[in-house]
Amino acid sequence: MSYDVPDQELMTPGHVACPGCGAPMAARYALKALGDNTVLIIIASCWSIIAGPFPYSAVNVPLLHSLFATGGSVASGVKAGLEARGLKDTTVMTLAGDGGTFDIGIQALSAAVERNEDFIYMCYDNEAYMNTGIQRSSATPWGAWTTTTPVKHPKEQPKKDMVAIMAAHRIPYTATATVAYPEDLIRKVKKAKSIRGSKFLHVLSPCPSGWKSEPAQSVFLSRLAVQSCIFPLYEVEHGEEYSITVWPRKKVPVEEYLRLQGRFAHLKPQDVQYIQDNVDREWDKLVAKAKATGQQVPD
Amino acid sequence: MEKVIMGNHAVSYGVQLARAQVIAAYPITPQTQIVEMLSEFCADGRLDAKFIKVESEHSVMAAVVGASMAGARAFTATSSHGLGLMHEVLHWAAGGRLPIVMANVNRTMGPGWNVWTEQTDSLAQRDTGWMQFYCETNQEALDTVIQGFKIAETVLLPVMIVLDAFVLSHTMEPVDIPDQATVDSFLPPYDPKFTLDPSDPHAFYGLVTPEHYMELRHKMHQAMQKAVEVTRQVGAEFGEVFGRPYDVVEKYRIDGAEIVLVTSGSITSTARVVVDEWRADGQKVGLLKMRMFRPFPFEAAREALAGARKVAVVDRNISQGHGGIFAAEIRSALYGASHQPVLFPFIIGLGGRDVTPHSIGSILNYAQEHDVPAEESIWMEVKE
Amino acid sequence: MSHQIVFKTEADMPLLPMSLGSTLYNKTGSWRYVRPIYRNKTSPCNQVCPAGEDIVAYLGMVAEGEYEQARQRILEENPFPGVCGRVCPHPCESECNRAQLGGAIAIHAMERFLADLPMERTLPALEPTAPANAKVAVIGSGPAGLSCAYQMARRGYKVTVFEALPVVGGMMRVGIPSYRLPRKVLDAEIASIVALGVEIRTSMRFGNDLGFEDLHDYQAIFLAIGQHRSRKLNIPGEGAQGVLPGLEFLRQVNLGQKAHVGSTVAVIGGGNTAVDASRAALRLGASKVVVLYRRSRHEMPAVADEIEEAEQEGVRLEFLTAPVEVLTNNDRVTGLRCVRMRLGAPDESGRRRPEVIPGSEYTIDVDTVIPALGQEADLSFLDERIQTEGGLILITETGATSHQAIFAGGDAATGFGTVAHAIGSGKRAALAIDKYLRGQALNGFPSLTAHVRAAPRDVDPTVVRFEDINLAYFMEEPRTPQPQRPATERIRDFSEVNLGFAEGDALREAERCFSCGTCNQCDTCWLYCPDVCILRRDGDGYEVNYDYCKGCGICAQECPRVAIAMEEELKWRK
Repeated sequence: MSYDVPDQELMTPGHVACPGCGAPMAARYALKALGDNTVLIIIASCWSIIAGPFPYSAVNVPLLHSLFATGGSVASGVKAGLEARGLKDTTVMTLAGDGGTFDIGIQALSAAVERNEDFIYMCYDNEAYMNTGIQRSSATPWGAWTTTTPVKHPKEQPKKDMVAIMAAHRIPYTATATVAYPEDLIRKVKKAKSIRGSKFLHVLSPCPSGWKSEPAQSVFLSRLAVQSCIFPLYEVEHGEEYSITVWPRKKVPVEEYLRLQGRFAHLKPQDVQYIQDNVDREWDKLVAKAKATGQQVPD
Repeated sequence: MEKVIMGNHAVSYGVQLARAQVIAAYPITPQTQIVEMLSEFCADGRLDAKFIKVESEHSVMAAVVGASMAGARAFTATSSHGLGLMHEVLHWAAGGRLPIVMANVNRTMGPGWNVWTEQTDSLAQRDTGWMQFYCETNQEALDTVIQGFKIAETVLLPVMIVLDAFVLSHTMEPVDIPDQATVDSFLPPYDPKFTLDPSDPHAFYGLVTPEHYMELRHKMHQAMQKAVEVTRQVGAEFGEVFGRPYDVVEKYRIDGAEIVLVTSGSITSTARVVVDEWRADGQKVGLLKMRMFRPFPFEAAREALAGARKVAVVDRNISQGHGGIFAAEIRSALYGASHQPVLFPFIIGLGGRDVTPHSIGSILNYAQEHDVPAEESIWMEVKE
Repeated sequence: MSHQIVFKTEADMPLLPMSLGSTLYNKTGSWRYVRPIYRNKTSPCNQVCPAGEDIVAYLGMVAEGEYEQARQRILEENPFPGVCGRVCPHPCESECNRAQLGGAIAIHAMERFLADLPMERTLPALEPTAPANAKVAVIGSGPAGLSCAYQMARRGYKVTVFEALPVVGGMMRVGIPSYRLPRKVLDAEIASIVALGVEIRTSMRFGNDLGFEDLHDYQAIFLAIGQHRSRKLNIPGEGAQGVLPGLEFLRQVNLGQKAHVGSTVAVIGGGNTAVDASRAALRLGASKVVVLYRRSRHEMPAVADEIEEAEQEGVRLEFLTAPVEVLTNNDRVTGLRCVRMRLGAPDESGRRRPEVIPGSEYTIDVDTVIPALGQEADLSFLDERIQTEGGLILITETGATSHQAIFAGGDAATGFGTVAHAIGSGKRAALAIDKYLRGQALNGFPSLTAHVRAAPRDVDPTVVRFEDINLAYFMEEPRTPQPQRPATERIRDFSEVNLGFAEGDALREAERCFSCGTCNQCDTCWLYCPDVCILRRDGDGYEVNYDYCKGCGICAQECPRVAIAMEEELKWRK
């Protein structure tokens, strides 16, 4: 086998994700990393539906569906309950969308990680409220079309930097990952599992339906996001130590990533340049942080 | 062991004796002492429980739902706006068939800010699927916490135990605190029927289509119906073990009463005094204490009021646009009964305004002097 | 098992919303309108290999460490990997897509590595198909003849090879010097063929020592007489002493006979014979050797590596020049008068036609002239029953001549001029003769410019090109060079110049291979399927679980080597 990926499958086919959706990919890899001594919590998001209706489930681990804003709070309760029952080694992971993480659930998430609750919080970020039909969230990138940021008035605010917010809580481990790099994602989930305390993973998850992209290109887009530095893959430990885990082979212009998505079709060249400038600046800042931590930076 | 303690602490002792395993709480006046004492119990090992200091009541109930689903005996306490904030999660807990016990200290809903007692906060949650018990004394609060876990874990519905702000919560009363061994013999450890178990994985609370939803709600309905009988049995058993039996209602000097007062909470103690006075005066009055509000004990209420000519319902709450909530429920209990007393619905004591023996006397006077209520809701002791 | 859960009564239902089964009940395959299918495409190396080898397949086996299996795969198609791995012009490498990301895979050196493996060669098993007592005669023991004999003998035929020379091997023996192809390598591979029961009778020249009338015992005949006659210079002074026709010169050298070269040698021509002759001349003691070619370096048909090696050894190359007269004194060569050329429009071979530049004549002093202008076949023994055209025996795509039961191949019929082509040609005829003698129709043979497979794989004929490869999965890695003896040392003798790959080199090259169009079980499709419906068949490829496949196309898009195609669903529905 040419990939360093566990064989065990804890997700079954028959789930109802759209063809080419990144969300089941993220969950499948996460579950491979965690194994079956895991309790999964899914808050209102596409995965609430992807998991299948009563009386079926698409995952072979205990799964608790919960309310939209409760990703951090339910997990805290579940962890406490499992420990009270003597199941001290069972991993608790919340799987939440960007809406439930960046917006309605941010309070409970912040509180849970401030308390350093022992759980993993994985946000699969498709950059809008996709389950309700593509409305903008604070994770929607600048300039993107959504149904509530129509073409005549696209999103004017930059994407909220959730990793920075989590890092500011000084939790033991924060990381980004995406579905085109499963080995990197799996390594990060395994690392998270081995740490006691709060672990936050931000996973970019392409959505052909909401991004207006080809289903076949979801992995390709996810890779482009990394290679163009729009979505760098890195880790932050204790809020201070940065290290970049996948270096782009050759920094690709953001235009290549944007033009494959209908949600950016209305952008003018100056808009693309604006995005490029921001990406470049943020990337340089990130590289500087990695350097300051002592990471060797390739040319 | 007898101690003179405030109602809040009585609840804390009840929770300790019930061996709760997970507690999540957020402070709100006048609940704070409940969780402060529990916090101390946890810190010094008198209670082996995990105490999660969440950041809002919405998270409180979510955490408790999580803990209960994970198979732990879970408890929390709140009041007023805190209860309001957890509204959507209350539905989730009840529909989730989780045997959670929560103490709610009845406090007025703002605006303006008002910390004193009123029943609207808990009654506004009457549709969520939670059972509700209204406590008359601090003793009853402690006793009902212990019984609450047993009832909840039998019918698999969450239980709300309600006590008045300040009148009970902060007032010291003598309370018999049972010993742990006796409580253990009465209340065994929680043995969950459905839980998050990696060795037997299931998904809980996912999408339910119209094809299946009604049956699941019907099962809840059946559990609610069963809960009346279960509460009676548990109350009787409690009486045998601890010497203090409990029922879903209490009839006080109802035999031969022409006017029956219907009360709940601490007003009941005041009403007892007034009923004794009037009876001593030769007046045929009686008292029906509503201990259980959800499920509403229709039969017990109907049976207790069968002989009354007039029924005076005392509501320390208001459903704006309708009236007192106990009155509405009693009215519906009486609908279709072969004997129809005249029902006088009284609104009194909102926002913590004191309800005195004089207040109860005015209520009885009104009922006596009127053949029918002059208004849809009779507001007592309101300024002109 | 449908996995569907049906509740007949409320009592059957659980108390709360909880799962009782998996989503396997939900056959999401009904969603799709396109479906992925595993369909290998043609790799460019496979498309051009004249011997018809399945290169991409055996490279994959080497990458897995299955050397014996890889060698067998070659032997299924070609009994001379040791020869080809040394002398083939390797068109596979010229077409190799890896050339654009670090350098073409060193397939040539790989073939030699496998041929030279110390373990005993085992031939792949083959069911005999020969009718009882079937006998076949092969005329010529060069690569075409022996390849035909090999494939026939493996199928149970009794084969007799008639060879004009006293030695066996055709051009492999007499045309290619031993510093390129050591004698013992050739001997060993010929011996493997003989070991199958093939009879080789040497010193039997067809048209001289035997004719068609002697072959009535044979049910079929394969003519593989090659092109052993040098084309003439057709200039004055050609007959002088010191003018040594290239083929004859090399034959003398390779048979260990005395071959006299002077000290200043001019070789005329640009093919392998010219280059070989120039390098042999150096080794025989010539102090100055120049190769005169009438076109430019770009048009030289000789193998590029060989040209480079010749230059390293000190051979000088002069382009755009042609001889017009051999200067003599006492009938001995003293010099060569030449004229400069320039390139005009392309001729029938596709190469630009050289044109004389008038008034540009000049003279060089040489004492030996070796013309190596190309080869011709001696077809004088044929009668009118066997048609020829342009100096070649006319054959169809089955190798059949105009006369029934007589087939032809190799240079005498195709004129392609390489060992690999001849091997492919001999194999083609063997497969056709086998069908013919079993009374089967001779159809399904590819055109004469395409390769023939003895063990074909079902593949889409579309050739995968570099732009089709998914470069996200590959890093630039440089090609592994084959070690060589230094030039100054190697011109002193006829020992082998190239030293061959070590195991590490072979593995590295095999791992660099893109495996164009050919699934090599990299697991990428399995890894990325969002619906977990690509199943690994334990080393035997993959299977799509069409009950659930939604047709998203990620597998096809990500397959690094275009081995998955998306097809319209409608054609799959009844």
